[in-house]
Amino acid sequence: MRTLHVEGNTWAHRLPARGKLLGLAAFSVALFLTHDILLLGLAVAVAGAVHLGVGLSPAEAFRRLRPVFVTIVMVALFSLLFNPLREAAVTVLRLTALVLFAATVTATTAVAAFIDETTALARPFERLGLFQAADVGLAIGLVIRFVPEILDRHRAIQEAHAARGLKARWTTTLVPLIILTLRDADTVAAAIDARGIRRH
Amino acid sequence: MNTRDLVLSALFTAIIVALGLLPPISIGIIPVPITAQSLGVMLAGVILGARRGAVATLILIVLVAIGLPVLSGGRGGLAVFAGPTAGYLVGYVFAAYTTGFLAERLVRPEQSGLVQGVGFFLAAAIGGIVVDYAFGIVYLAFAAGISLQQAFVGSLTFVPGDVLKAIVAALAGRAVMAGYPLLPQRS
Amino acid sequence: MNADHRVPDLNIRFENAGVSYGARVALHPLSLTLGERRVAVIGLNGSGKTTFARMINGLAQPTTGRVLVDGLDTAADAKAVLGRVGFIFQSPQNQIILPVVRDDIGFGLKSRGLNKAAIEAAVDGVLDRFGVRDLGSRRAHELSGGELQIAALCSVLVTGPNVLILDEPTNQLDLRNRALVERTIAGLSESVIVISHDLELISDFERVLVFDRGRIVADAPAAEAIARYREIAA
Repeated sequence: MRTLHVEGNTWAHRLPARGKLLGLAAFSVALFLTHDILLLGLAVAVAGAVHLGVGLSPAEAFRRLRPVFVTIVMVALFSLLFNPLREAAVTVLRLTALVLFAATVTATTAVAAFIDETTALARPFERLGLFQAADVGLAIGLVIRFVPEILDRHRAIQEAHAARGLKARWTTTLVPLIILTLRDADTVAAAIDARGIRRH
Repeated sequence: MNTRDLVLSALFTAIIVALGLLPPISIGIIPVPITAQSLGVMLAGVILGARRGAVATLILIVLVAIGLPVLSGGRGGLAVFAGPTAGYLVGYVFAAYTTGFLAERLVRPEQSGLVQGVGFFLAAAIGGIVVDYAFGIVYLAFAAGISLQQAFVGSLTFVPGDVLKAIVAALAGRAVMAGYPLLPQRS
Repeated sequence: MNADHRVPDLNIRFENAGVSYGARVALHPLSLTLGERRVAVIGLNGSGKTTFARMINGLAQPTTGRVLVDGLDTAADAKAVLGRVGFIFQSPQNQIILPVVRDDIGFGLKSRGLNKAAIEAAVDGVLDRFGVRDLGSRRAHELSGGELQIAALCSVLVTGPNVLILDEPTNQLDLRNRALVERTIAGLSESVIVISHDLELISDFERVLVFDRGRIVADAPAAEAIARYREIAA
């Protein structure tokens, strides 16, 4: 599966994942406490410069962020109906800086590092008895493992419909897709338990 | 959580991701295509129940957070959580839990198909619209510097589409319950 | 750990162990000891053979009596039993649960507190045992049924069980993959219990149990047992 991590060895890549996440949290707080347009503009400039240094072409970086930028612009335009221009500008700058910082953390941190951090975050919650920290990596792995199989199954269902002369439409493929996939849960769970992977 | 429940949840997340990779759904008479994501959230609650539905959606947002482009349109990464609509995304977990909670209590195998459908629709609509929008609107107001009333009004345009999704989720929920009942029954 | 691949002593004992679900009897209480290197379990669908095999690793629990593996009770010492008995299922794709094969094989070792290097070495070790080191870096989705079963074997054997149960391992495979898996099973040094419809697979096994309607109706070397099975199935 494609990831949004960009291979590279820049200074940002070399920073530890936990530090970057904590830094992002701190920046978020700072951004929401600041109402100064100049400071926010500076934040956007810095965030933009840093983001362009992670190894993505500007076109690719923009392509990835376009949907969220569109949302920001539309929300700002909507807020103009009620609020002065200054407020809308603050919103646009603040959220844009936040998005750029966040995208930089994503681009410079490997998925495996994120999984390690999430697992560490889950460990204190183990005492609640609901799950184990290792279940994080297992659940993520299970999803990535089985998405291609589900897509294959969908293709097979469509072909089976076509062979019967039926036009394959969602109304007829969604339910069999769900049922056939969930039926596999028992055998997958049995295999996991037989290997003693989840010792409670 | 036992292994079977964990696997059911993860497989459902995989279904939601796969649905996002396929082209948007056009349901017969309705000309506007529906993206599968929020439909998937309603389906999780209606088919798996509260706990597993919530876990399935939680796994989904963890996948987004760790940098996988699993939201429809290939969106993903922490940037999604930095945008003004982040509340709707995080709200998915609470929406699925609510939908599942209501479905477990409103729907019974002995009921007629129509009654089941109405029960599932109410569960999907209250969870997927009322609860999800609550989280979405609160964060939108905060992030965009607008009032709650203004954020609420701005969200109204999406309600009709989501009502349609709740109908589809109800129909699918009924059909899956008939073929492979998984919904826990609670009174 | 089964490091030097000697044939270890297999000691599985059923003491009046049976399984029933309410009124339905899946397996009538039986007593026997298994110690052979190659044991097969055959019978028609619903004959109780699968229940029998799943009682050995504790996947199915006896409702009467008990099952002992190396002196460990499958009910009371379930976790310890899982460490001694490996289980291969018939569905090739539902056993590799992580996207990349070597990650899946190594995942079973994570709870043992081994460091990363030790896990990698163990994964390499089990892959090399079957001469399939490159299988490790492949994605499960791209593998054939036979390759998936070999990968599943690696993931199960990496923790060093003495006994391996294989539940219809070739059922969903085509001819070529079937031959691959058959060769691999033949080369295993662990003690093996195979449930199989594929009579060729078990044709040289030293002990074959034939099940019918929840009871063992034949317990003999392959040739004799298979003949008895054909009589029942006719």
